[in-house]
Amino acid sequence: MSKFEVIEFFERPSESNYQLLPFSFDRLDGEKYILTNQAGEYITMDRMYLDKFINKKLSSTSQEYIKLRSRQFLLDETNSIAPELLALKVRTKYSRLSEFTSLHIFVVSLRCEHSCPYCQVSRQSEDKSAFDMSRDVALKSLDMVFRSPAEAVKIEFQGGEPLLNFDLIKFVVAEARRRNIEFKKNLGFVIATNLALVNREILAFCKENDVLISTSLDGPRDLHNHNRPRPGKNSYEKAIEGINLAREILGKYSVSALMTTTEASLSRPIEIIDEYLAHGFNGIFLRSLSPYGFAIKTKTYRAYKTAEWLEFYKKGLDYIIQLNKQGIPFQEYYATTILVKMLTSREPGYVDLMSPSGMGIAAVVYNYDGTVHPSDESRMLAEMGDNTFKMGNVLTDTYEEIFTSEALLNPLEESITKSVPMCHECAFEPYCGSEPVYHHALHGDFVARKAESDFCSKNMAIFKLLISLMEEDPFVKSLFMRWANKT
Amino acid sequence: MIVEVLFQGHDLEVLEKAAYRFTNKFALVITTNGDNQICALDFPADKTEEAISFTIREFKNEVLDQKLRAKIKAESEPIRNLILAHAFSKTSLIKNEQV
Repeated sequence: MSKFEVIEFFERPSESNYQLLPFSFDRLDGEKYILTNQAGEYITMDRMYLDKFINKKLSSTSQEYIKLRSRQFLLDETNSIAPELLALKVRTKYSRLSEFTSLHIFVVSLRCEHSCPYCQVSRQSEDKSAFDMSRDVALKSLDMVFRSPAEAVKIEFQGGEPLLNFDLIKFVVAEARRRNIEFKKNLGFVIATNLALVNREILAFCKENDVLISTSLDGPRDLHNHNRPRPGKNSYEKAIEGINLAREILGKYSVSALMTTTEASLSRPIEIIDEYLAHGFNGIFLRSLSPYGFAIKTKTYRAYKTAEWLEFYKKGLDYIIQLNKQGIPFQEYYATTILVKMLTSREPGYVDLMSPSGMGIAAVVYNYDGTVHPSDESRMLAEMGDNTFKMGNVLTDTYEEIFTSEALLNPLEESITKSVPMCHECAFEPYCGSEPVYHHALHGDFVARKAESDFCSKNMAIFKLLISLMEEDPFVKSLFMRWANKT
Repeated sequence: MIVEVLFQGHDLEVLEKAAYRFTNKFALVITTNGDNQICALDFPADKTEEAISFTIREFKNEVLDQKLRAKIKAESEPIRNLILAHAFSKTSLIKNEQV
């Protein structure tokens, strides 16, 4: 068999017989269009070629035709295997679905010594019994964890400030490890903490039990302390001290940080990124505020518009690209999550960008009082009195009752993007998510009219930005390929 | 402000799908008269003429895109189902119907 096609292959008539394989398209900018196939692979082309392609006028020797054939947008006599290749990619994309619920969040205390204005849940209270998870609730929650069919299971401790109930964390870790001798799951632990209360004893326990640390770092000292008030006005100092101590004991890569964009952050993307660089982080997640709970109540969320956040994001991403051009490797994690979807057959499992939604499927939350919620955001809504998504209570309900509750199944079913108006034909659908909790919180139903959805406009803008950047600059294309394949 | 836009020989579904993408810009009523479709686009009062003209041009372009999408959908439907059948063939989710 020759390495090359015979010469006749290249001399076929300019208008060949081919069949369209399923794909979606949308306008990128002006006359430039993006086409995505069922597996999420994309091609960009001018509308003139798109029109020719769909109307069977595209020459089989044109560059466009060859690209379309190689990425399974069309079927002709030379690529009859295309449907099977596409099927394999589609199956790989959806394989995560059978790994039902890998992230189990334990809200071990709602108490917190910080009083961040955008925080949805924390309570300034000394009353342990009112806002701390009990051992009984923890044990029943662990029953649910080990009913999950997922091979890899992560237990994340959240709050409030979870270290205020550290004894329960120790209890849950020990009990989970004991049970896992029988279940043999790939079991991991994370504590999401502001680090103000961390000490050597806590970190020694983390080291002994392979517990990772996830913390908050909103930017430079003044910005962080402005965003995260606490007695002593030293949240930043405590966080940096804690990061350094945690790295010393657990190792550099056992500590990660998240930032939240407030109105005060909008003009400072470069300073925020520099702060992460200065503290030795390899990347940053430029994250917008979640429109839930107290963030809405205190008007923090409405303090800036999506367009302003997008401007902040673009400036930040541009700066990160410039850093990489100067030989300083640094990553933006939201872009990376999307790029994994765009450039590989893998599904990163980021709850906000999944369809069916990741709620309950990718993650579940056991609240301090035993109530079960399909995502952190829906638990925040519940704290504000909206129990639409409450799946049940570990103290009174079985696994079957909780995971087949209508509070979970209805929003999952109604919001699948493949059957939602506008989403089902959107070229960006393979990269996007359904986010029923967001749309319920802001629009009053699980779907909403997408033309009016900030979630839609924000993500569409980011998808277009990432593709345009790759189209315009080969360096960026190669950088983004590395980000997508590194995770 | 209501602006009427006339189309000829278009499927109603094509016009409806195109209009759905503009629910944040205008409300729509479609009436048909033989082979003609009259789209009454109802814009908020504060919209300028320039903004309205721009949106109408975008809407017309979107109608053309929707016509192409309808062609893709019609032609690729059997193969789309075949791909999904292949994709999930090794799961226990698809069962042969009893004959």
